[in-house]
Amino acid sequence: MRAMKKLAIAATAAAAFGLATSAQARDQIRIVGSSTVYPFSSYVAEEFGATTGHSTPVVESTGSGGGMKLFCEGNGLNTPDITNASRPMKLREFEMCQENGVTGITEAVVGYDGIAIAHNIDNPPTNLTREQITLAVAAEVPQGGKLVKNPYKNWSDIDSSLPDKEILVLGPPTTSGTRDAFEELVMEAGSENIDGYGGEYTKIRQDGVYVPSGENDNLIVQKLAQNKDAFGIFGYSFLEENSDRIRAAEIDGIAPTPEAISSGEYPVSRSLFFYIKHSHVDKVPGVMDYANLFMSERMISPLGYLKGLGLIPLPKETRVMYREQVKNLKKLEPGDLKEH
Amino acid sequence: MTGPVRARPGPVLSVFGTVAELWDNSLNSQAPPGAVDTVTTMALSFSPFSFEGPWSVDVATTITAFLLGMLPIAYASFLLARRWATRTEAAGVAIHSRPGQYGWYGVMWVALPALVVALIAAFIQLFGLGTIPGPLLVAAALTVGAGGIWFARATLRPGLRARNILDRVIRWVLLAAALVSILTTFGIVISILFESIRFFEMVSFWHFITGTEWAPDTGFMGDAADADPKFGSVPLFAGTFMITAVAMLVAVPVGLLSAIYMSEYATRAVRGMAKPTLEVLAGIPTVVYGFFAAIVVAPAVVDAAGFVGLDASYQSALASGLVMGVMIIPFISSLSDDVINSVPQSLREGAYALGTTQSETIKQVILPAALPGIISATLLAISRALGETMIVVMAAGLRPNLTWNPLEDMTTVTVRIVDVLTGDQAFDSPETLSAFALGLVLFVITLCLNLVSTVMVRRFRQKYE
Amino acid sequence: MPHRKLTKSAITADRRTRARYRKERRFKLYCIGALSLAVAFLVVFFTSLIGQGWSAFQQAEVLVEVSYNEQSVELPLAAVGEDARPLVSRGFYRLIPRQVEQNPELMDTTKEQWVLAKADVDQYLKGKKARLRANEKKTVDRLVEEGRARLAFNTGFFTNGDSKLPEMAGIYSAAVGSIYVLALTLAFSFPVGVMSAVYLEEFAPDNRFTQGIEININNLAAVPSILFGLLGLAIFINFFHVPRSSPLVGGLTLALMTLPVVIISTRAALRAVPDTIRQGALAMGITRWQAVRDHVLPLSLPGILTGTIIGLAQAMGETAPLIIVGMIAFIPDAPGSVTEAATVLPAQIFTWAGMPQRAFVERTAAGILVLVAVLIAMNALAVYLRRRFERRW
Repeated sequence: MRAMKKLAIAATAAAAFGLATSAQARDQIRIVGSSTVYPFSSYVAEEFGATTGHSTPVVESTGSGGGMKLFCEGNGLNTPDITNASRPMKLREFEMCQENGVTGITEAVVGYDGIAIAHNIDNPPTNLTREQITLAVAAEVPQGGKLVKNPYKNWSDIDSSLPDKEILVLGPPTTSGTRDAFEELVMEAGSENIDGYGGEYTKIRQDGVYVPSGENDNLIVQKLAQNKDAFGIFGYSFLEENSDRIRAAEIDGIAPTPEAISSGEYPVSRSLFFYIKHSHVDKVPGVMDYANLFMSERMISPLGYLKGLGLIPLPKETRVMYREQVKNLKKLEPGDLKEH
Repeated sequence: MTGPVRARPGPVLSVFGTVAELWDNSLNSQAPPGAVDTVTTMALSFSPFSFEGPWSVDVATTITAFLLGMLPIAYASFLLARRWATRTEAAGVAIHSRPGQYGWYGVMWVALPALVVALIAAFIQLFGLGTIPGPLLVAAALTVGAGGIWFARATLRPGLRARNILDRVIRWVLLAAALVSILTTFGIVISILFESIRFFEMVSFWHFITGTEWAPDTGFMGDAADADPKFGSVPLFAGTFMITAVAMLVAVPVGLLSAIYMSEYATRAVRGMAKPTLEVLAGIPTVVYGFFAAIVVAPAVVDAAGFVGLDASYQSALASGLVMGVMIIPFISSLSDDVINSVPQSLREGAYALGTTQSETIKQVILPAALPGIISATLLAISRALGETMIVVMAAGLRPNLTWNPLEDMTTVTVRIVDVLTGDQAFDSPETLSAFALGLVLFVITLCLNLVSTVMVRRFRQKYE
Repeated sequence: MPHRKLTKSAITADRRTRARYRKERRFKLYCIGALSLAVAFLVVFFTSLIGQGWSAFQQAEVLVEVSYNEQSVELPLAAVGEDARPLVSRGFYRLIPRQVEQNPELMDTTKEQWVLAKADVDQYLKGKKARLRANEKKTVDRLVEEGRARLAFNTGFFTNGDSKLPEMAGIYSAAVGSIYVLALTLAFSFPVGVMSAVYLEEFAPDNRFTQGIEININNLAAVPSILFGLLGLAIFINFFHVPRSSPLVGGLTLALMTLPVVIISTRAALRAVPDTIRQGALAMGITRWQAVRDHVLPLSLPGILTGTIIGLAQAMGETAPLIIVGMIAFIPDAPGSVTEAATVLPAQIFTWAGMPQRAFVERTAAGILVLVAVLIAMNALAVYLRRRFERRW
């Protein structure tokens, strides 16, 4: 009999526990997506949670592709509400969304991210062209009319005007969206201008001259501090944070300053996006408030908080346009894709 | 004396009726907020979705309703059966088991059928064979349960061997629990097998196993000119084996010699202090080891290498291997300790009788005798090192690198798996699927190591028992 | 057993014997050396961690006048005087509007209070590299002299959750998440594990099937933890639709990992109970299950508890499977239920270790100290239980 009582109490406790979990519909906003947008998104999320009565949104850094997959899985409450991306949504992903019933999507652009190539601050300022960078890190280079394995070991091998230093580039791994952007904005553009490639070439060498380094930027800075010849490839936000230890190289004669990136002059920059799922706007409290907060002047203007974290602001008219787009939940059409 | 026992459905049906009525009310009426708010949420939540959908609202609610409904019915069954038993005994009829056991017999007939119904419904739901609305499921399960009360009551008689029936049922329940571990293994195999098969449809197995170039990045840009991704996993496994080798070079001597010292030379006091110290090493989480490796050991390795004129990377295999070795020391030392202690004393005493020193006894008598056990411990430690993730994620490199130089940076299988599953690339690319293929090979290798190790230990034990 | 030293005698006069004794001493030295290497590592480890982490238990604060009025609700930065303004943490400023909203009597008052300083001030006061402008440094020095800047005990570290601002970052939500996950792990693995062990030890017939189960359990104990993560992803999240990043999925995954440990240690505890007790019970005519439940289990309970606590301690330090299952995310709030997103302490440490701001390095070390302290306490508890309640038959 005693055992029966104990069991009854235990089962009631379990039932009550279950009830506690079931009684709430989800009130935590779920955001996934790019690791580049992650620091900005989580800053806004924290502000949002601290200054309003809502619970703080959960921001997960899954990568742009992974985030799109989770976002487009369906309309259920176990899918995310917002996904961040360091590139626009692809047509394939848009179609997957449509197939799974996610038909109402709003796209928002929050700013630019410049990709910089930096070295130890003690070195004199350097200027590199995109062609030179491509030749330095490509797996194969054209020599004598055909493609051979990249033989260049020093910068002066590529171009005698460059210093006679060993080439060592620390860059993003294959799983990073930054690598995608680097390949597209630097290598594609650079290789197009080099005869012998016959088009775009984006394969990167694996013989130790290009070293894939992960998200742990502290290690990269350590390496740059130790090896004065090394270059690192990272996003502008990281450059900002460590401006006392590293210096960015000019690319095609233009330095990565906020003005140059914002105006489009600096060639290696990309837009940062987030996408809102219309079907969740009513079901999860605060989604629009979060989105509007993200798009507010307080956050993304040149005087906003995210600038201090390294976000390059959009020009004013663009900001206003996207702000309105978000406020009115303008629906994303297939024609709007890949236009950035 | 024992006439036919008639079940008394009255109280049971009325309880069930009340529950049904309450349910009806909540579904139909506008329940006011507050105490009945949760019931309203439950009811409303059932309409737009079925069993599938937001887990936190539907499935948990259904389970809760199920439990809340089951409890009174089971309790009622218990009381009824036990009361019958007490009364029958008091009336002078000899019953086989104690009244309480008849009560549990009644519970059994309520709980098990209801559980079976719930499980069948869950199966149908999960395998997509149909959707079952929550309320229907709960009602069905509870009806079956209530029917169980009636059935239990109907079969109660003084000669019923409730005790034995209960014993058998409990035996089955325990067996079911033991099968969970088999299900787990199945789960692991299935979860990696399906995705791996998809991967091997895209990449040839032979190329995967023997190729020496891991360059998936051309698979990234779907329309690049040179779209020929290479998935040769040899550099990855080479990296894993290199770091494991370094770890073993640290762990085996230190672990073995420590074990020898603790079992042969140390006084009870020293042993009492040394053993917990080594156990602390085992208790430190691997993420902490990883942090330590990245922040303290790696720069130290770079400095030391620079001191002798060598060039070491900040993500050298040496740094990760050293720290991993330290992590494995307790494995080897405690397993070797057990093995050495279980070598019979007679062997030692025979050797001492011949005049050998202690170290000679150890080197020439005890270690050879304990060798299978020690090798088995080493194999287990190797298997642990192969599968270690956090230390390498934080301290090792990301570049597949096929080299003999431990001062260079290289990546391992586990780092690749984590990187790929948390990275940016397209979701159905071969690169994502490669994680599962790598996991599969890892699983097979560790499985083989464990089997060999177990067989060795068994043979060793047989020799001395 | 220690060897008694032989006295000098004719035996040691022989050169070969002396050589053998030398070898003996050398060997013993090697063994002691090995043991001391392990101990030395621990010493270095703890010293460096404590050295890096102890400063995180202090947090810089400045004494400033805060004016609550219309303007400061609009523009919180205006609440503090101009020279101290850049030194105060953003985390304090953003709370001002809500503070006034919730306590209307604060409106149009000025209070002198100790407020959180921003991370760079904190690092500067601790003597580490800080990104402060020259005039800011001067202001801080002046405030120190006036006694209006101090390093106070960092209670925020224990009461705040994760934050992007290092001065506000704490382990509270990670700790709560860990507790939830551990509770679930215990709830799933303890009953199933003990029941499996009881079956295998007491009821199972000695045939191939049982041997198969045993081999399987031994295997599971040695499977790399990351594969459990893949299992959790494929089966719990994709098939059962358990919410991602929730303590529920984390608890289930870790429960499967802890299961073999619980089973193996429970079996050992059950085996330690002598057969005579079982036979005596059976001789009284009770069933096998009753004998186990009333006689064997109570006696083996201390051993079972010890094994479970050790298994839980291992689970608490696990990170790899939880990464795959999604618990590495920015989750500042403590979870309110088992289906909300949560993070655990080792995952928090992993995230902080990758943050660029230098102020996070000391916080990571401090978090590690807390985690290791908890784990050592758990292991010590297990050892204490074993010593106190172990019975020698």
